[in-house]
Amino acid sequence: MSGMGSGNVVLRGWALLAGLLAAAILVSLAVGQIMVTPAELLRGLMTGTGPGALTLRVLRGPSTLTAVGAGAALGASGTIFQILLRNPLAAPDVMGFMSGAGCAVVAGVAFGLFIPLPILAALGGLVAAALVSGLSFHRGGRQSPLTLILVGIGIGFFASAVSSFLVIRMPPQEAADAQRWLTGSLAARNWGHVLQVFGLGALLFIVLALQVRAMALLELGDELAAGLGARVERARYGLICTGVLLAAVGVAVAGPVPFVAMMAGPLGMRIAGVKHPASRLTAAAIAGATITVLADVISRSAIPGLQLPVGVMTGIMGAPYLLWLLWKEVEAGEV
Amino acid sequence: MKAAVGLVLLFFVAVALTLVVGVRNAGIVDVWQAFFAFDASDPTHAVIRSVRAPRLIAGLIAGAGLGMAGTVMQAVTRNPLADPGLLGVNAGAAFAVVVGALVTGYADSGMMAALAFPGAAIASIAVFLVGGARSGAGSPVRLTLAGVAINALLLSLVSAIILSRNETLEIFRFWVTGSLAQANARPLEAMFIALVVGAGISAVIAPRIEALALGSTLARGLGTKPGAVQLSALAAITLMTGAAVAVAGPIAFVGLVVPPLARRIGRHVLRRELVVSAILGGSMILLADTVGRLVVAPAEIRVGIMTALVGAPAFIFVVRRLKPGALT
Repeated sequence: MSGMGSGNVVLRGWALLAGLLAAAILVSLAVGQIMVTPAELLRGLMTGTGPGALTLRVLRGPSTLTAVGAGAALGASGTIFQILLRNPLAAPDVMGFMSGAGCAVVAGVAFGLFIPLPILAALGGLVAAALVSGLSFHRGGRQSPLTLILVGIGIGFFASAVSSFLVIRMPPQEAADAQRWLTGSLAARNWGHVLQVFGLGALLFIVLALQVRAMALLELGDELAAGLGARVERARYGLICTGVLLAAVGVAVAGPVPFVAMMAGPLGMRIAGVKHPASRLTAAAIAGATITVLADVISRSAIPGLQLPVGVMTGIMGAPYLLWLLWKEVEAGEV
Repeated sequence: MKAAVGLVLLFFVAVALTLVVGVRNAGIVDVWQAFFAFDASDPTHAVIRSVRAPRLIAGLIAGAGLGMAGTVMQAVTRNPLADPGLLGVNAGAAFAVVVGALVTGYADSGMMAALAFPGAAIASIAVFLVGGARSGAGSPVRLTLAGVAINALLLSLVSAIILSRNETLEIFRFWVTGSLAQANARPLEAMFIALVVGAGISAVIAPRIEALALGSTLARGLGTKPGAVQLSALAAITLMTGAAVAVAGPIAFVGLVVPPLARRIGRHVLRRELVVSAILGGSMILLADTVGRLVVAPAEIRVGIMTALVGAPAFIFVVRRLKPGALT
């Protein structure tokens, strides 16, 4: 990895990352059942009229931007857990936090609770995280990262089963929509969703920025961090909360999209060639946004006349990555 | 002895409830008459014979198949988290059937259902290669995550295919979580034969699997070829899982919950454990299905969701009992 390389290499990495996101957004706006040329998009943006304007304002603008916001939140969330547990498998999707958030949202809808979706998602995510953490203590009082991941997978199974159970109780049309949403879906997003994901996301990114120093210390190991003046437990729980809330923000607008959170961190780090937590988080956010936008375009246009949920595509993209990760570790004799 | 009596009782209760309980409640007498003094004008008899009996058979095939497949898997991999559902073998079978229907344009007929076998075989081989089980005992984490990945990939593809064909939500649910609601349209006879063959292979190789568990060097000394045993085990798992998926879709967690109970009741003799697994697996599916039909009647909760509601906590329980050293 070129993390220690010269400033030029790093700069090139960031440029590449940003360029990929810009390209993904452009493709997402242009491609669909009706193709819209970049020129038309530009004209729509400038004059506010023509097919470009309609595409931007109604058809593809809101869902593309929601994808950007949700992907960025999920990417940063995944990286927080990957850094805290020092394991590429640790991510809110693998560890069941997102299924927990999704389950809470479905429960809220099924029981007709008038609680905003982000709050439901946050509650569900936090309960799932608390359960994972609580159930992972071995008798010795320590949690191993691998136990946390496995217990998290179990919590994810349970939350998904409860969600499916609740979906059955809904009226047919609502049930079909809920099923789709539970796969992860960006269909029919509006500017309210964009505002929500960017507003809450920005707030959490500020909170995260305040925690980055502590995170860098934690990365050195608990004892060294404590020696350098970090309040280890407090810092860790603070970061876990931020991570879970970021994931919940993504889930609230896009459903529990699988594998974005897990893939974004390593991908962003590799492309940008960075190592410091702050840079890794930024890179992961950009990579997460790019992955989500691309998955959305592909799922919208892979089969003509049919909009697959975005989660189907991130599943198809993410699963081979996970297999490759495991294969690599089998070869290296780790994990 | 006490355990054996309890087991038989549980089984009969599960079978009886499946035949008796439903939107149209029947009595034991109705069930008896439906089979031995059939009256075509009695709708209760008709429901029992044409709806509940196929459901019973499908549940027994699926439960026995998944229970025994789980027991063989756990014995061969020495991994208490091995389950045909969690490791993606079910998903492989479902995927193959759905792809077959897509390519040929036939809706799922008996011929299509036979594709469950190659699908299950390929998914098993893939998960064991990636999970590192070939080098002896693969770590539970690695194997489980390999299963998670294979499941995610195959079920995403299954969803994409079914959604693209504008199939009904019911078909979608059958191939993603499993259900007994389609039982009377599934190839029950053929899959029963496949299950019996798979169970037969398992029974024949059981002593050799036990020898392998002592360590492959010792097993070789006793005249057991590890490769041959593993290959036969793969064939047995494939047949039993394939049969289960062909009749009931991909149902997870039965193969996780049943084997540890079977080990206890079968007192660590694999052949006995297999018999117990078949009975327990069948009972588990039937009871889960019956409860699923009752809680939200007249709608029903698919059996795959019910097994997951029970199985997910069981999964966490098993994880917590793993020794920390066993994880890496």
